[in-house]
Amino acid sequence: MNCPSSSGGGAASVAAGGGRARSSATSVSVSGKRIQKDMMEFNINPPADCAAGPKGDSLYQWIATIIGPPELPYEGGIFFLDITFPPEYPFKPPKVVFKTRIYHCNVDSAGNPGLNILKDGWSPALTISKVLLAIRSIFTDPDPRNPLVPGIAHLYLTDRAKHDEVAAEWTMRFASLAA
Amino acid sequence: MAIDENHSPQNRNAPTKLSATIENGGDANNVFSPRFRSVAAMAGWDEEAILVASLVVEDTPDRESREKKRFYLQLKSPPTSSRRKRRAKKRSTDSIPIGVLNLDDEDTAGKEHATKTMELKNDAIEEKKEKEGGVALPAKASDTSCSGSALPCMDRLREELSCAICLEICFEPSTTPCGHSFCKKCLKSAADKCGKKCPKCRQLISNGRSCTVNTVLWNTIQLLFPQEIESRKAAGALNNREIARQSPKKGSYNTRHIAVSSRRESRDRERDRDRDVTSRRRRRVPNQVEDAAMAFRLQREEFMEAFRETHEQPRNSFISATENLRALASRAMASTTAINLRGINCIACVIQPSCKGLENVGQATFQWLMFYHSFLLV
Repeated sequence: MNCPSSSGGGAASVAAGGGRARSSATSVSVSGKRIQKDMMEFNINPPADCAAGPKGDSLYQWIATIIGPPELPYEGGIFFLDITFPPEYPFKPPKVVFKTRIYHCNVDSAGNPGLNILKDGWSPALTISKVLLAIRSIFTDPDPRNPLVPGIAHLYLTDRAKHDEVAAEWTMRFASLAA
Repeated sequence: MAIDENHSPQNRNAPTKLSATIENGGDANNVFSPRFRSVAAMAGWDEEAILVASLVVEDTPDRESREKKRFYLQLKSPPTSSRRKRRAKKRSTDSIPIGVLNLDDEDTAGKEHATKTMELKNDAIEEKKEKEGGVALPAKASDTSCSGSALPCMDRLREELSCAICLEICFEPSTTPCGHSFCKKCLKSAADKCGKKCPKCRQLISNGRSCTVNTVLWNTIQLLFPQEIESRKAAGALNNREIARQSPKKGSYNTRHIAVSSRRESRDRERDRDRDVTSRRRRRVPNQVEDAAMAFRLQREEFMEAFRETHEQPRNSFISATENLRALASRAMASTTAINLRGINCIACVIQPSCKGLENVGQATFQWLMFYHSFLLV
């Protein structure tokens, strides 16, 4: 579970935590098995700028990090996410919440990302890698047409430079290592 | 490797067989008349060829390989310019059968082969051990060893034949109309919980068709990944057993139902069942409905048999059974009035599936009982 990015100090510690919890996973239920498979897949082929793993002893509580992709106002930020798997996983979507504040039109103030695949668009064929990839994609391609925070969406559409400036400031303040 | 092993016993037998044939060959050498030999020589056959031909005629299938070897040896021997010279040379060694050389050669060859096969066998055994060890090791290790030995594209196949929902090898795969395959169970629960859409492409899937197993794919998977399928089958069986253990009531109901359907039973068995009833009552909290049903059934069987055998056998032969039955029947009488209508309906189903309607059954029960009592009094 090595983070491919160069600036992944925080992510590395998360990764270490994820590796530890694997041995303690004794659940043999369908969801537990599936989550383990997810973890294996993720470890073999992690999406760019992403790291994830169980938070503690429970397989159902994960923590993930996404590193702000380069050439974006989110560059250099490390965004922490909590992932909670329901017992019905993979037939019900995991709950993903941003723990780090982010200035983004598709993430509300509570940190819920406005992703369709985490709601009605969920499919049991999706894995945690794909979910994180989708979340990472909203960094690069915000969707101001279906915003959770209309103000940010409006700014994004009308004054992109201002939007980027604020987003970069938020990233500096809340998501960088110095913070 | 397997082919070699199959051949090895044959080769080990070869020397003895060969010596026998060589003896035959020697005889044949003597048997061939000089005239025949000269004719053969004119035809361009040397003794060796004649001999080989005679052997070939004798028993074709086994000879072929040896024949080849002999020709091979012939080629190896320094080529002589004239046929006559060669023949002379062979005549000079006539006292020593030609085959002996070959025999020795083949014997050593056979030995070599034997040792080779032994080595191969040892290898095979080692490999087997390794595989067995692999089974004992975590699943992933055995998987990799399998994929290493069997097919180079095994990993890719594994990926292709995995169910996207459980991420394991498809178990009883069923294919959607859009062409995606999942485990039958996974697809079913996906359709139940996530709507009737293909988990991969979100196309609508009709439920009925999606629940048939894709036989070709399933057989292929079973051939490619027998270990995993076996382990999953075993796990499934274990689960089923646990489920069965959790709800034993269903099982007992079924057996009772079967027992009811087979009416002609020996009296001994009936008595056993009688005992069973009492023991069950001892074991569990007495269930009125069950008791009534049992009593009614036993009583009817009793009656049937009694009716059949009244003339040959007096009733004293089943008097011990009737002792119990009387008690049960009276209990049933009391309980049928007490228990609610649904209970009776249940009993009716258990006792006599052909019976329709609640009142009929109730009446029938009553009539049976009355008849039975009157019969006892007679």
